Amino acid sequence: MVSLARKNLLHDRIRFAITLAGVAFAVTLVLVQVGLFLGLLGKATVTIENSSADIWIVAKNTPNVDFGNPFPETVFLRARGVPGVERADNAIVQFVNIQLPSGATENALVYGISDPAYWNLPWKVEAGRAEDLNRGYNLMMDRSAVLRFGGFDVGDYRELGGRRFRIIGRSAEAESFTTTPIVFMDFGNAQSLLEQLSGQTTYVLVKVEKGFDPKEVAARLRPMFPFNDVHTRDEWAAASRGYWIESTGLGMSMGVTVFLGILVGVVIVAQTLYTSAVEHIREFGTVKAIGGSNWDIYKILGEQALIAAVCGFALGAGASYAVRPAMASLHLTVLLTPQFSGVVFVGTLAMCLAAALFSFRRVALIDPALVFRG
Amino acid sequence: MSKVLEARVVRKTFEEGSQRVEVLRGVSLDVTRGEIVSLEGPSGSGKTTLLSIMGCILTPSAGEVHIGGQRISGNDKALRDARRKSIGFVFQQFNLFPALSARENILYALGIKGHKGAKAEIEADRVIDAVGLTDRRHFLPRDLSGGQKQRVAIARALAGSPEVILADEPTANLDSATGASILDLFRDLARSENKGLIIVTHDPKVRRVADRVAGIADGLILPQAHAA
Repeated sequence: MVSLARKNLLHDRIRFAITLAGVAFAVTLVLVQVGLFLGLLGKATVTIENSSADIWIVAKNTPNVDFGNPFPETVFLRARGVPGVERADNAIVQFVNIQLPSGATENALVYGISDPAYWNLPWKVEAGRAEDLNRGYNLMMDRSAVLRFGGFDVGDYRELGGRRFRIIGRSAEAESFTTTPIVFMDFGNAQSLLEQLSGQTTYVLVKVEKGFDPKEVAARLRPMFPFNDVHTRDEWAAASRGYWIESTGLGMSMGVTVFLGILVGVVIVAQTLYTSAVEHIREFGTVKAIGGSNWDIYKILGEQALIAAVCGFALGAGASYAVRPAMASLHLTVLLTPQFSGVVFVGTLAMCLAAALFSFRRVALIDPALVFRG
Repeated sequence: MSKVLEARVVRKTFEEGSQRVEVLRGVSLDVTRGEIVSLEGPSGSGKTTLLSIMGCILTPSAGEVHIGGQRISGNDKALRDARRKSIGFVFQQFNLFPALSARENILYALGIKGHKGAKAEIEADRVIDAVGLTDRRHFLPRDLSGGQKQRVAIARALAGSPEVILADEPTANLDSATGASILDLFRDLARSENKGLIIVTHDPKVRRVADRVAGIADGLILPQAHAA
C-alpha cells in the first residue's frame, strides 16, 4: 500500500526539516549532556576500575576514593592471613600541596602505592617505568596535569609537601573527578609527606586468589575489621559514583537536562505533527469518507512520528559522536556506549510516538462529511 | 431493475444550539444499476445531507438506507464497511491527496478498501485507462488540470468496483467544456461499468446525461420528479 505518511512528509519538506531539527536537537542534548556526565563519573572511579585490586579496605564511612581517611597501617598484615587473599598492600590517596615553577601552590592528588606495577597504578604509562617509583623520591605525573600545573618533562623536579621529587615518568588517563591532577609515588614517600599519615594508611588493596569469589572473601574480611569498611571493586566504584551524584546534585542536574531535552523534542514533534494534522484535515476526512477508520489515520501519524524519530536520532547521534574529538581536546570526555545510545534511541521512538498522541484526539474528531463542504 | 441504493423515508435533524433543525423530512430516493439520477435543489434544501446519508457518512435520525437490498445499520463499522465496499465518492473539490500521484491516489484508496498487491495495481491501471489518463498516471495533482483532477477522482471512485457512485457538484469547479466532458464520462461509465450514479448538482447541464431528475426543496423530494 502506498505510504501516505512518507509521501506527505516529503511533500512538506520544510516542516519535516523542522521536525528533524527538533528531534536531533533533543537527542544531541541528551546524548552529549549525559555522555559528559558519564564521562565525569568515569573519572570518579577510573583508578578503582583500572587497579588490579579486587577488594578495597577503607576507613569507616569513607565516602569516595578521593577522600581517603587514615587508619593503622598494620591492618594489611591481618588481611593477608585470610583464606582466599593472594596479596594485600597499603595504599595512600591524599591531597598534598605542590609548588609550581611559577611560585604558585596547587593541590595534587597523591596515590602512594607499595608496588605500583603489581597494582596496575598507573595503568597507562607514556614515559618512564612504574617500577622506578620506589627507587628514591620519584613521582609520575599524569599528562592531564598540564592544564593545572603547566608543562613538565621527565627529569624535572617538583616540590610536594616540602620535599623535592623527580618526575621519572608520565601517565595517561588518570584524571580525577575533582580535576585535581593525579601523581603516583611510592607508598613510603607518600606516607612521609604528611605528619598525620605516620604509621597510617588510607587503603588496603586486596588481590583475591584465582578461583575465589571477591564477594565471599570480602564477607570473610568484614568481621575482622569492625572499624573499617570492606568493598569489592564494584561496590567501591558504585559508592564513589553515588557520592558525587547525590552530594553534588549532579544527578538532579542531569535529570533536569534530560527532562528538558525530552520536553523540547516532544513539544517540537507534537507541534509540527499537530499542525500537519490540522492542515491535512480534509485529506484525513477523505480517508474516512472512502472507508478508512481512525486507526488508518493513527497509522499515518504514527509512521510519520517513527520516521521523524529514526531520522532525527540518526542526525542527533551523528552530531554527538562527531563532537567527541573536539570535546576531548578540551579534556571533556563524552562517554557514549552502544547500550546508552540504544536506550536513547528507544526513548526517542517513545518520545515521538507520545508526541503523535496529541494529534490522535484531533483526527478522531474529524467528521468525514466535511468532504462535501466547498 | 433492482434498486442498488435506496433511502426510505429518511429524516435528519441537527441540533444548532438550543434549536432543532429538521433538514430532511421523510425523503425517499433510489437508484438502479446503470442509472444516472440528478438530484437538484437550491442551497440549504438538504441535498448534500441526503447524499451523506445515502453514502453512509451520516446516519439518519429516522428512516432506512438499503444497499443491494440490505439494510445498513447505524453502527460505525457497518457504515465504514458499506463505504469501503459499495460506494464511490466524487467531490466538488476533488479531494485528491496532493502528495500522491494520480495512480498512487487510486492505489491508496484501494488499500483502504482492502485491495493490495498486484491485483490493486492492475485495478488502478484499469480505472486510469477507463478515465483516459493513462499518460498522466504519474503526475501529481498540482500538475493536472481541473478536468484531469476530476477524472482521477472518478477513477478513484470507480476503483474496487463499488455498486454506486455518489458525486457532489462534480462540475462546479470546471469550465463548461470540461464539465461537459466529465458528464459524458459519467454517462459512459454508468453504462459500461453498470453503476448506479447519483449526481447532486446546481448545474442544469447534468440533465443531459441523467436518466431521472429528482428535485429537493426544504427537506422534501418534489413530486414532479421526471425523466430527463
